[in-house]
Amino acid sequence: MKLQVKFALYNAITKVTIILVLGLIILLSLETISSHHLDARLTKKRLKLIDNLNAAEIDSLLTSQRSFTDYNILKEEFIVLNIIPKTGKISPHLNFTTERREIEGDIEIYRILTDQFEFNNKRYQLELGEAMTAVESIKSTIRFYMLMVLIGALLVTLITDYAFTNFILRPFYQIIDQKLNKVNDPISYRHENIPTNTTDFKILDESINSLMKKINSLFMLEKQFIANVSHELLTPISVLSSRLENILSDESLQPGHEEKLLASLKTLNRLKLIINSLLLISKVENEQYLKQDQVELKAVLVDCYDDLEDRIVAKNITYSNLIERGLSFVGNRALIHTLLINIINNAIKYNTFGGTITISEGIRPENYVLRIADSGLGMAAEAVKNAFNRFERVPGNDEDGFGLGLAIANSVAKFHGILVDIQSEKGHGTMVSISFPL
Amino acid sequence: MNVLIVEDEKALALEINEFLSREGYIVEHAWKKSSAEEKIFVNNYDFILLDLGLPDGDGFDVLRQFKQLKDREDAVIILTARSAVDDRISGLDGGADDYLAKPFSLNELLARMNAIKRRKHKLDKNEVIVHQFVLDIQNRTVSFNNERISLTKKEFEIFNYLALNKNRVVSRISLTEHVWGDILEVNSDSNFVDVHVKNLRKKLSQFADTNWFETVRSVGYRINY
Repeated sequence: MKLQVKFALYNAITKVTIILVLGLIILLSLETISSHHLDARLTKKRLKLIDNLNAAEIDSLLTSQRSFTDYNILKEEFIVLNIIPKTGKISPHLNFTTERREIEGDIEIYRILTDQFEFNNKRYQLELGEAMTAVESIKSTIRFYMLMVLIGALLVTLITDYAFTNFILRPFYQIIDQKLNKVNDPISYRHENIPTNTTDFKILDESINSLMKKINSLFMLEKQFIANVSHELLTPISVLSSRLENILSDESLQPGHEEKLLASLKTLNRLKLIINSLLLISKVENEQYLKQDQVELKAVLVDCYDDLEDRIVAKNITYSNLIERGLSFVGNRALIHTLLINIINNAIKYNTFGGTITISEGIRPENYVLRIADSGLGMAAEAVKNAFNRFERVPGNDEDGFGLGLAIANSVAKFHGILVDIQSEKGHGTMVSISFPL
Repeated sequence: MNVLIVEDEKALALEINEFLSREGYIVEHAWKKSSAEEKIFVNNYDFILLDLGLPDGDGFDVLRQFKQLKDREDAVIILTARSAVDDRISGLDGGADDYLAKPFSLNELLARMNAIKRRKHKLDKNEVIVHQFVLDIQNRTVSFNNERISLTKKEFEIFNYLALNKNRVVSRISLTEHVWGDILEVNSDSNFVDVHVKNLRKKLSQFADTNWFETVRSVGYRINY
């Protein structure tokens, strides 16, 4: 979730909570205040009634209950007097309750005072009721307005907070976008600051700038180092190999010496190939190659097959290329050729005699997957994990090679934004999936 | 034919000198940019082998200076350990005829020089005849008495490379590198080249005797003509 959205949500939630708590407090206190008020009125009325009470009054009350309608048209109040049996003690306290009562067909909520007293050796229960309709309607009105205010406040805060944080955080997102997301290599990095007056963002921007400056200088240093290594190591090898070649062209050479010289030339060649491979990886990682060729995957695969055909035939391998659609993209053709040839070469090298190699494609909306599956020796999970490391070789395999093929393939893949995934099981072959982004 | 080697690594220059002298070339050296420019200005060469990293400047400057001279046919081959791609591109854009990354095999150098000679002097016909076998360099085919011999790409490459190195032994290592390029894991086994040579020889011997196509001890192969 974006920081901006988080801020807006946080603000909205806190504001809603505050309004809700306040609203609840208001509603609760309204209830208490109105109850107190009614209770006081009822108590006062009771006192007045009890004070004026005599036998005639009681009789009149007892009889008048049959024609109550006369007494109160709005049914806002009522008095009920009953004779009750004399059991137990009289409760010394006045009892207040809120109840629903039906009076002449209408049900309403009343605050009711219940009192028991004895008069002329008889026990009476007196109920004084007062309707709470008015209070309830005030409460519901307040509740309604509160809800409206709540929704309104919520909308306003959400919009203003979002707009404000958007304004405040804009430089931050610019920094993220321009200085981090859009930077693929340190050389094309733009060093000018993003305009902002927020100190924190200024610090962030400057920190990223100085970090990138450091990376940039390291990058250049590495480039320099690669150039030096190329020159300082490859030149002496060049001298030695030329010298050995010159000696070998002497026909009077003794056969034993010739063998030794040839072996030396071979060793030297191996040294050269290792240095060149390591330099290739470094140069790819240092982004010293261009990506300007239109690469036709199908054509590259045909080239790879041509280069490796002899090995495939020598091992009697059934090679099936099931690619129909293929893929065309912009990249470095020579490097892609190197990537594929290394993977297919592994599929041959670690295959069994008379095995199979199947090359197939998978087309998904987000990527194009090239699968190279072999029926070879397979690898244990541990070996798969380390397969891309330099100088890593399948243990217990006496095939020659230097263990740099997959390391090269991996660096070329990274350079092009291609994912290489190896699925393998010991004894069940290996499938390499190469996913090209679309 | 005369060659100017512009190379500050004296040991390497001497080895190239020895090799090319045996091939009948007259070789001169320049160790520095300044002396190279002087020599190029004064003399005409058939080939200028130019190293890029010179003690007193960049070989590219020598190339630029040379290109300003009028009516010169000298072929320039850049030799460098700086095998960065942009170097190769700017070298060839700057008017060099070829580019060889160090370390290279002397056979490869000779093959490149001979290929340039073919291009420069036989513009009218792109054919090389080896004992009645006609190599069509343009279309990369071989025929005998106008009958096309079906060779694979690699077999043609081997035949052509040996023909470019005629009367010289070409080692298996050099041949492997020429045919498969610089790919480490693929290049590490030079036995495959023998299979291709065997097939090539078998195909050619169906048309004529091929005793001019020699296997030279354990070193490699040679075509004499």
